[in-house]
Amino acid sequence: MAHALPPPARQTGPLVWLRRHFFATWYDAVFTLVFAVLIFWVLDNVIGWAFVDAIWRVENREMCTHDAGACWAVIESRGRLILFGLYPYEEQWRSTIACLVVIVTIILSCLPVFWSLRRLPVLWIGGFAAFVLLMRGGFAGLEVVTSEQWGGLSLTIFIFAAVFVIGMPLAVLFALARRSSMPVIAKSFGLIIDIVRSLPLLTLLFAAAVVVPLLVPEAIQGNKLMRVVVAFAIFFAAYQAEILRAGLQSTPQGQEEAAIALGMPYWSVVADVLLPQAFRNTLPSTINQAVITFKETSIVTIIGFFEVMASGNAAIGNGEWGNQYIEVYVFLALIYFVFVFGLSRYGAWLETRMRLGHG
Amino acid sequence: MGEPAIAIRALDKYFGDFHALKGVSMEVAIGETLVICGPSGSGKSTLVRCINGLESYTSGDLRVLGMEVGDDTRVLDRVRKKVGMVFQNFNLFPHLTVLENCVLPQKRALGRDRSSARDEALNQLAKMRVEMHADKYPDQISGGQQQRVALARALCLKPEIMLFDEPTSALDPEMIAEVLDVMKDLARADMTIVCVTHEMGFARAVADRVILMADGKIVETGTPEQMFSAPRNEITRAFMQAVQS
Repeated sequence: MAHALPPPARQTGPLVWLRRHFFATWYDAVFTLVFAVLIFWVLDNVIGWAFVDAIWRVENREMCTHDAGACWAVIESRGRLILFGLYPYEEQWRSTIACLVVIVTIILSCLPVFWSLRRLPVLWIGGFAAFVLLMRGGFAGLEVVTSEQWGGLSLTIFIFAAVFVIGMPLAVLFALARRSSMPVIAKSFGLIIDIVRSLPLLTLLFAAAVVVPLLVPEAIQGNKLMRVVVAFAIFFAAYQAEILRAGLQSTPQGQEEAAIALGMPYWSVVADVLLPQAFRNTLPSTINQAVITFKETSIVTIIGFFEVMASGNAAIGNGEWGNQYIEVYVFLALIYFVFVFGLSRYGAWLETRMRLGHG
Repeated sequence: MGEPAIAIRALDKYFGDFHALKGVSMEVAIGETLVICGPSGSGKSTLVRCINGLESYTSGDLRVLGMEVGDDTRVLDRVRKKVGMVFQNFNLFPHLTVLENCVLPQKRALGRDRSSARDEALNQLAKMRVEMHADKYPDQISGGQQQRVALARALCLKPEIMLFDEPTSALDPEMIAEVLDVMKDLARADMTIVCVTHEMGFARAVADRVILMADGKIVETGTPEQMFSAPRNEITRAFMQAVQS
């Protein structure tokens, strides 16, 4: 007669875990060891360069040689140029506040509480008015700073936010127009979208900056920054419109029919029923488009705007800090990373929230 | 007898080359419960969808409560406020709670303020016995519950006519009865009802008349009794046998 064996001892603890995940077979062990050495070597170098051997203060800058660590003194010396571009030194506090205003506006518009047809426009118009007033000045004793002197991180964030805020309603309009039941409207907006999408962004921005002034009377030209932002927004809208159209198409036909049968007016069918579902369905692509747009803002350099990337280049361009380009680019990369990573995490949070069924 | 709730004369409808409705004429009296049945593709859904203008028709005449349902969007708006509709797939708005599903149309279609819309919504949800689910999202409740919410949502607008387009076809068998029960209550409360369904038990219990459609035409009309026990038409006989077996 067989005796029941006692259950096997539960195998837990860090050693068992290590063995199961990293040393299960001989080649697992080899991989583990090789990569452990590699990772240690890279980390050791990076930490040594970025922290241990780094030179932080400008007064120690003569220690910045090729075999020393990172020379962060360049950030202390040139940080303001990178963050503010050509904005006048004494007025840079305004640029700081303006930048914070836009960041707060962006964060607030990410909160579902503000997603209503009444609150979003108020928030956006208020935020942008505050930004432009602060940056431009010309009231209450503030010196006028024209948009040609705006620059650095404030300009990058402003361009991104403005493109998004102007581009998103445009995208909604384009998407709705393209699926309009009137063939003339559907066809012509289809054509506009396809033309814009087949042009390089650079061409569009050049046209806005250089060609438009030749063709359009001066009174309605607006300034160069405005034209560039609008052109960029149209570019964004053409792509985002197609994303939204996909979202609208993936919303079941019955949703629109139910809303119509309930006697809801067309604007409400779109705003209350179709668009919320279209945005939910296309959230990953929309976040993707926002990330791409944020990174593409650096292209405005070419038409003479000193956004953060161009300001970074200027910081190392005059020879004095010419050897510290790696440090400056690492600094720039960190700035981009904070924003783009933030956007991605926000997207992930929204998706979880929607999976749980809320709004 | 006063004006009929719905009056349809010689209605024709084409989908491209396909002749979906072939000169359909019928009337529905106020307070009447009419059941439309027939094999799939017979045009019964299309007919019902023409009544509230979800589908346009090619020629003929269609009046609801005396209003001509045609191309005039202002008239269509008025018609839709008087005519509620329940669909096969419920079509609740998935991004809104059960309560918001009922509140939003009242605000948008009738301009009711939030608090009275909310009171009415809770009232109708209670009548449909789903008020305990008011704060859930549609995907958190069963199909039978969703369909009763859809009915409550339509009733919040105080329609004079209710259209049902196969309201129980997408339901699991054990949930069909709970939906039919509330529909029967509605029929007994003298709501004017046009219902496309194959649930002959429902027809027998509350229908004043049954219409059988086939191939875009009305084949036979009669009281449930006539249609079930003494159908005159060969198609009706075959169909009744098929759905009752």
